[in-house]
Amino acid sequence: MLEKSGKTPSGRILSLFEILGDWLTAPDLHVKLPAQLTAHNLLTSYLAKQATAMRAANPEILAEHIALIAHNAALQTISEPNSNHLAHAKIAANALIQAQMQKEWPLPKFTLSKRAVYGAAASLFVIGLSVTSFSALVQTLAPQNIVTAIDQARNHTSSDIKAAAFESNPQNVSLSAHEAATMYAKYEQMRNGTCQFPEAIQIPDKDKAIYLENVVGGKLPANLKDLATANFYLEKVRCNFTPMLMANSVG
Amino acid sequence: MISLREKILNTASNLFQTQGINSTGVDTIVAVAGTTKMTLYKYFSSKENLILAVLEKGHQDFQTWLNDKLNASAKKPSEKLQKLFDFIEEWVTSPNFTGMGFIKASAEFPSEDNAVHQLSSEQSRQFRQYISTLATEANIQDADGLALQLSLLFEGAVQAEQMKRGSGAIKYAKIAAKILIDGAVKAH
Repeated sequence: MLEKSGKTPSGRILSLFEILGDWLTAPDLHVKLPAQLTAHNLLTSYLAKQATAMRAANPEILAEHIALIAHNAALQTISEPNSNHLAHAKIAANALIQAQMQKEWPLPKFTLSKRAVYGAAASLFVIGLSVTSFSALVQTLAPQNIVTAIDQARNHTSSDIKAAAFESNPQNVSLSAHEAATMYAKYEQMRNGTCQFPEAIQIPDKDKAIYLENVVGGKLPANLKDLATANFYLEKVRCNFTPMLMANSVG
Repeated sequence: MISLREKILNTASNLFQTQGINSTGVDTIVAVAGTTKMTLYKYFSSKENLILAVLEKGHQDFQTWLNDKLNASAKKPSEKLQKLFDFIEEWVTSPNFTGMGFIKASAEFPSEDNAVHQLSSEQSRQFRQYISTLATEANIQDADGLALQLSLLFEGAVQAEQMKRGSGAIKYAKIAAKILIDGAVKAH
């Protein structure tokens, strides 16, 4: 579960849906969504921190909306386990993230791992742990410095990040959250279809590594230069979505 | 002239939306409607049947309103799909908005065995199917998938607005819906 938590704030938000999927489809796990407001508030509070870190236009609303979507999709998954609701909920949530990131902001490099907090939040969301045990879990798994670091990152000004390089060399510029979210959407869409990739032998040597890693492998490009190359080859991938989605999305 | 049955139905609908279904007693409904319990039970044999009738009318009114708006504003199916969230936003931000009946009822009656819960789920499915039909007419390949994504956005935004009026959730839902629809159109 923890391995799925993303490297970026948007990735961490979206990994909620995979973690929920794992919980809800785990064998012999009798899950029950918590009705308590406290559990909902703890999750939205965590999502809002991620949304703030990626400089969403309105982090509170984004967090609330995504928590509601996740809750609704989880309920549907419990009553119809093969309904694929969580996969579609993730796509909807990703679109919401993009909607809030349409005015692009460069992001500080964000390398902290908050998997532990997220795991705790998602566990609570699904199985309804008591508030006391949740607090204990967070304290055990998430050192205080994680929270402090989120705040510090949030307080960075954009001038800190614009630093150097952008005009001169896109190889030094990290992806913004919007760009990362867009790539995640493309990877997600490809996973939902049957795709034909151009043969690697046809790709020039200089681009081969990017093609294999960032197009076929579905790993986020490291910088804007690689992103442009990856997008060029993504355009050449041909996917057929109809049979798998049509079969799975009837709910 | 409005019939007594309609009067009871409208009164119950207003009270359910503003005060909640479980917290509104039959006594309150008959007092506000200016009638008697005997008359209420003549038209609706039980409170549960009254709730079901209120839900059916509310959903029908909403669907008719939305359908009329879409038909009047666009001819091409693709335009109707694009305009769907414009009208949903108009509805959610109107001063008369008190929430979506089936969403509230589903929350108040969580047991799957309950007839009110079952009707709420059915209406949620019907609305998703309505979007799916619009998407199919607009030649979207995965119409059911898009409909599910849009209905999740819609229900979440309405819930957020029910919790806090003017939250702005519907504004972002509308932008997100456009991203999803444009993506589905490109996937042809």
